[in-house]
Amino acid sequence: MSAASPQRKYKLTDQVDFLIIGCGASGSVLARELSRNGFSVVALEQGPWLDRKQFSHDEYRVAAQSLLTNNPQKQPTTFRKTPNDKAKKQSAFVYGRMVGGGTVHFTANFWRFHEIDFIEASKKGTIARTGLADWPITYTDLEPYYTKAEWDLGVSGQAGVSPFDPPRSKPYPLPPMPVKSSGVIFEQAARKLGYHPFPAPMALISQSYQGRLPCAHCGFCAGFGCEMGAESSPLPTMVPQAVATGRCEIRPHSYVRKIELDSKGRAVGAVYFDESGKQSLQHAKAVIVSCNGAETPRLLLMSKSNQFPSGLANSSGLVGKYLMFNTFPITGGLFEHQLNEYKSIEVTRILQDFYELDAQKVGFYGGGGMDARFVWTPIQFAAFGISPHVPQWGSEYKQALQKYFTRTMYLTGHGTSLPLETNSITLDETVKDEWGLPAICVTYKDHPDDLANQRFLVARSMEILETAKVLDRRSFPVEEQNYGFHLLGTCRMGNDPKSSVINAERRSHDVPNLFLCDGSSLVTSGGGQPTETIQALAFRASDRITALAKKGEI
Amino acid sequence: MSNRRTFLSQAAASLGLLYVTGITPELFAQAHEHAKAAPRNLDGQPFRFFTPQQAADYEAFAGQVFPTDDTPGAKEANVVRFVDFALSEIEPQNKENFANALKALGEQAKRTNPEAKSFAALASAHQIEAMKALEKTDEFGTLRFYTIVGFLGDPADGGNKDQIGWKLIGFKDDFYYAPPFGYYDERLMKEQKEKA
Repeated sequence: MSAASPQRKYKLTDQVDFLIIGCGASGSVLARELSRNGFSVVALEQGPWLDRKQFSHDEYRVAAQSLLTNNPQKQPTTFRKTPNDKAKKQSAFVYGRMVGGGTVHFTANFWRFHEIDFIEASKKGTIARTGLADWPITYTDLEPYYTKAEWDLGVSGQAGVSPFDPPRSKPYPLPPMPVKSSGVIFEQAARKLGYHPFPAPMALISQSYQGRLPCAHCGFCAGFGCEMGAESSPLPTMVPQAVATGRCEIRPHSYVRKIELDSKGRAVGAVYFDESGKQSLQHAKAVIVSCNGAETPRLLLMSKSNQFPSGLANSSGLVGKYLMFNTFPITGGLFEHQLNEYKSIEVTRILQDFYELDAQKVGFYGGGGMDARFVWTPIQFAAFGISPHVPQWGSEYKQALQKYFTRTMYLTGHGTSLPLETNSITLDETVKDEWGLPAICVTYKDHPDDLANQRFLVARSMEILETAKVLDRRSFPVEEQNYGFHLLGTCRMGNDPKSSVINAERRSHDVPNLFLCDGSSLVTSGGGQPTETIQALAFRASDRITALAKKGEI
Repeated sequence: MSNRRTFLSQAAASLGLLYVTGITPELFAQAHEHAKAAPRNLDGQPFRFFTPQQAADYEAFAGQVFPTDDTPGAKEANVVRFVDFALSEIEPQNKENFANALKALGEQAKRTNPEAKSFAALASAHQIEAMKALEKTDEFGTLRFYTIVGFLGDPADGGNKDQIGWKLIGFKDDFYYAPPFGYYDERLMKEQKEKA
């Protein structure tokens, strides 16, 4: 339990207004908003509730012991490329497994989707054998909630400097972070080539904000919890604010295995394992699932019953389908002088000139953003990050580490993934997790256009590095992915119950008091950074669900 | 915790700089809460995972990944002590995997020189030859990865003694920095100042 206690406690038999399953990027937003709106809330989280004082920079322990993420030893997964292949046991994705979720330890890139992301199918036309479709809402519907996310969480950035920035009703609440050497090199070279780099919008605070102290530039964002509480995850924001209402209980170490229904087909609550392994049923008037794009469909598929033999809320047969990972083509290079990129935040400059490519011109569907970054801690860099042009052990390797570590930067593309029905989350009954529940099977094969888009972004990155007078540059191979960092699109939203799982109000088409709210509802992947959209959707969902509840329509 | 004291005194010495760069005493104090855990000193303790032969073989291997040359190497960084601690305390589930990798190394040593009793007993040139033969295997990858962790990991886990690895690559694990961070942003700052 966290220092944030004491908090309101509910009994299992208390029929709370809302039971939220998963207290991450979305669940914690809903917990705060709904409890502030006067409702009683229990939020179940499978992971621990950590305080910033419990975080550390020990990269080996954090990774080896899965302190912040799903643990592949306790929660194994299987992977296959197509439904015709036999799945192999292997680690297939990573997600935040703790109160606050993945945003506690993400890079903190916080980009809005663009207007086109919501209406691609009608603007550009559908693509054969893909599920490219319009969203049931537009950018305009979501704009107020992007603004709310930026102001309530605390985002640093500079509005109005990118010609590609979508319209916004308010600037960022905090000025951008100081530029690093990678940002300077990237910005100068990209400008020479006629592009429009700009300060990265980041979910962390560059100055004191709402009682929180600013970033101290320690350099441990991605993969680590922020000891300063400066990263604008729900942990220093939504979570304590939800608890402070006196109407919200956050229950960590609560691993849900099934959503229960009554005979009328309404959700009555969820059964979960507590830390001791004991199973309990928490009762509620309505259930909101915010587990993420992998665990949300898994929970629905595990919650099958006589009423829903192929999985809860799955009359469309689409639960688990249209999984999208985004793509991350990486290039990098060595520079003459020291960059010391291990200091401060990972990203200070981005560009979005390639966000909306003309398929007729480039020959493929896709697009995305690009950032200059360095996300390598010493161990990762020495193990995987050093140029393959140098020996990987021995005296020359030592000398290369000495030369490269402080002088290296990378450019990362953030690309689109087309929604494909064959890319999916299913249950693998042959492999069980530590609780005896079926493992997740990931089926995933990038569409050829997603690969072409990555090769395009790599080529542009290599030109930028060349213009920046790089001494030694490299690109990581563009390959079909077998591991997901972004888990999107597995319970898509739409107006037609035959082609979607939930509606624009986040209500499942099949169960009136069951709502889904996380990355699983995304219809398209966007150009690479989905977190702000996921959280803006959670703020919007809170308003919609509140309105329904107040009208007595849940 | 002597490490914490050292950290605090070093930090206090640079207070003047901090005011100039805009870090407030309040922020500074909060950064201090996270002074790192003391380095773990495992010198002279009995091995819990390694047999003496395994320890000798692995130390020879690690010494070829990070040789002791102009700068200290894996031996001085206590990499072998780190691995013994890590496999006993942090990742016991990887013991078997690691032992198998050492076995593969021993078998390769015999193929390289049938007279050799162990990898550690090979002449250095033969050790390098044996490692080159194994370079593409998972076993080699396992041994190399743990060597890197022991050389560049947090000294709190028993390796990277005296921050030997971090000093080599130019990394520091301070809890606060202020701009400029590197050459190129510093140059830009100067140019902007001159213009102003």
